Amino acid sequence: MNTRVHRATALSGGAHQAPDPRARHSRSTPPPSSAHRAPVPAGSPLRTLSPARREELRAACARLAALDDTEFGVRLLANTPGHDTRDQALLGEWAREAAEFGTELATDAPAGDRPAAPRTRVVETTGGTDRLLLARYRSRPVPTVELFTDTLALGEHLVDLLGWRPLYPAGSLRAAALAHERAHCLLHEDAGARRTLRDRLGHTALRIGPLRVPGHVAGAGELVAHAYAGAVCGLRRTPLLLTAALMGAVQALRED
Amino acid sequence: MGIVILLLMLAGVGLMLARVLPTAFALVLLGVAIAVAAGAPLTGENSILDTVLQEGAPALAATMLAVLIGSWLGKLMEETGIAGTLVRKIVEFGGDRPTVVALGVLTVSALVGTVTGSAPAAMMAGIIGIPAMIAVGVPKTTAAGTILMGIAAGMPFELPVWQFFSTALELPVDTVKGFMLKLFPFAAFFAVLFVLVESRRKGVEHAWSLASAAERDGGGSPRERRRARARRMGDAPWYALLAPLVPLVLALGFDVAIIPSMLAGVLWALLTTTRPGHLNKRLLRTLYGGFEIAAPPIALFVAIGVLLAAVKLPGAVEALNPLVEAVAPGNPVVFVLVFTLLVPLCLYRGPLNVYGLGAGIAGVLIAAGIYPAVAVLGLTASYNQVFGVSDPTSTQTVWAAQYSGVGPQQVMLRTLPYVWCVALGGLVVTAATQL
Repeated sequence: MNTRVHRATALSGGAHQAPDPRARHSRSTPPPSSAHRAPVPAGSPLRTLSPARREELRAACARLAALDDTEFGVRLLANTPGHDTRDQALLGEWAREAAEFGTELATDAPAGDRPAAPRTRVVETTGGTDRLLLARYRSRPVPTVELFTDTLALGEHLVDLLGWRPLYPAGSLRAAALAHERAHCLLHEDAGARRTLRDRLGHTALRIGPLRVPGHVAGAGELVAHAYAGAVCGLRRTPLLLTAALMGAVQALRED
Repeated sequence: MGIVILLLMLAGVGLMLARVLPTAFALVLLGVAIAVAAGAPLTGENSILDTVLQEGAPALAATMLAVLIGSWLGKLMEETGIAGTLVRKIVEFGGDRPTVVALGVLTVSALVGTVTGSAPAAMMAGIIGIPAMIAVGVPKTTAAGTILMGIAAGMPFELPVWQFFSTALELPVDTVKGFMLKLFPFAAFFAVLFVLVESRRKGVEHAWSLASAAERDGGGSPRERRRARARRMGDAPWYALLAPLVPLVLALGFDVAIIPSMLAGVLWALLTTTRPGHLNKRLLRTLYGGFEIAAPPIALFVAIGVLLAAVKLPGAVEALNPLVEAVAPGNPVVFVLVFTLLVPLCLYRGPLNVYGLGAGIAGVLIAAGIYPAVAVLGLTASYNQVFGVSDPTSTQTVWAAQYSGVGPQQVMLRTLPYVWCVALGGLVVTAATQL
């Protein structure tokens, strides 16, 4: 595993030119046609897949792209322990609400490269596909965002293979990863934002007569971060769609 | 002859460390070998067959039964959603404050730890607790350590452990209870300190995981079956969440004996969560499930009984007495220093592991009259706190570490300083009150 401290920087979009977050992205933009497919670069692990397996992967990802963005939010919540007893409709409601909150957070956030935590380092490392990680944020000893370059590269190659470039412009995955971690920082730093999110989700942990104790919804913060990243980077679909497609690609590579 | 017995013990440790034999088999073999070396006859009084195997194997029967009922209650708490609801409520109340959530999960783990120990306790608190902590930003090693430190904080009140020490060291339950009440503040203090210090030291961690948006398992997978059952059950009612406290209140507050106290806990968990028409079916199903969970510790207690019977044979006591007397420190300060330094010897199934050769050594210390039984209780209970959290070969540590996605050795390194201090506290109390 190679690790490289890339730069000490703000958690901004990096090389990717971030569009206006106020231009809200569509929840279920139809998948682009095969005309957008680009050749997968030489050296990409995706080239090791057999043509049949590659077609299988394309078909599986097309099925994913046909789903509504909220479905990915529901999946994330359902995969978060503690929601075992929850109704799917309720998870859907929470997923929608959290995504809207994340998009609004991006709209309200000051423009520019202002970092959530000024001393945040960005470290590029590898080994992400083995550990199924795209990015990671650690607040100690110094706030650090780790970007797993192998996963990011695989994501870019996958976008080309699937013809999803109109949904995820070049470099947008890296920018989204940085924006995602910035959203986590914003939520950590702003108790008011956390309170607003909790109120909007409207979950009750305890009710005794008129007394109501609002409850935390595990996983909602993650959905906010994804929606924030999608909005800041002007993505036409949720980053979770590409995350699910990447998971399929990693599984296909492991099987082959 | 004493040297031969010590060499046999060393060989036994080697067999366990190298995983040539499972601990339970190695201890039985060691018990028989010690009896042979001590010159015990094959049959009759103080013999290999009649004393070591026949009387030794069921010597800890009361402990085995307590472990079984503890496992039964644990299984019931899992099946009725009591354990899951406890952790879920902690997360809902704790919000996205990682330290508060971790402290809450620590408390639930301690409660669960009073009912049952080992991997089942870690699973009950950890299956939801570990991912919930990770989801709010608690680093993985801290999350695993929180579950284990919590279980260890509850261990001084784990009734099967009282029964074990009472039977193995031939002490009244009240004496065991008295020491455990003194040990508890150390275990609780350092468990809370672990969460506070490690949360501060390691901060928060968030990961963009590829698995987060993966499709849910098919309906046939165990995970999906568990989910479907949880959805059918919903949350357990608030009064059912008191189930782990029932045995404690009865045993501590009303001096009710251990087994009836635990049975009352089983009944409470059952009656507060189950419709009358389903009582019998659930009671039987969870009892049989409890047998499955309790099988490994019960096998170990059979083996420990055999080993204890062997080291208490007159020949073994006579052979070991001068050796142990020569090395065992008598001065209270030296006692604390020496046995604190020897703490690592209870890791990796080492010779001071209470649920291994350590039980045999405790038997020797008592049989040879080196220390009063209460002092040996202090020594072994203090070591038990270390073994229960940091031993990378113990099932709860391995499970909690792997479930969190880290190595057991990482958990050992992170937790050892804290449990070492707990052991030091227990040894100081022992030296101050019993030597």
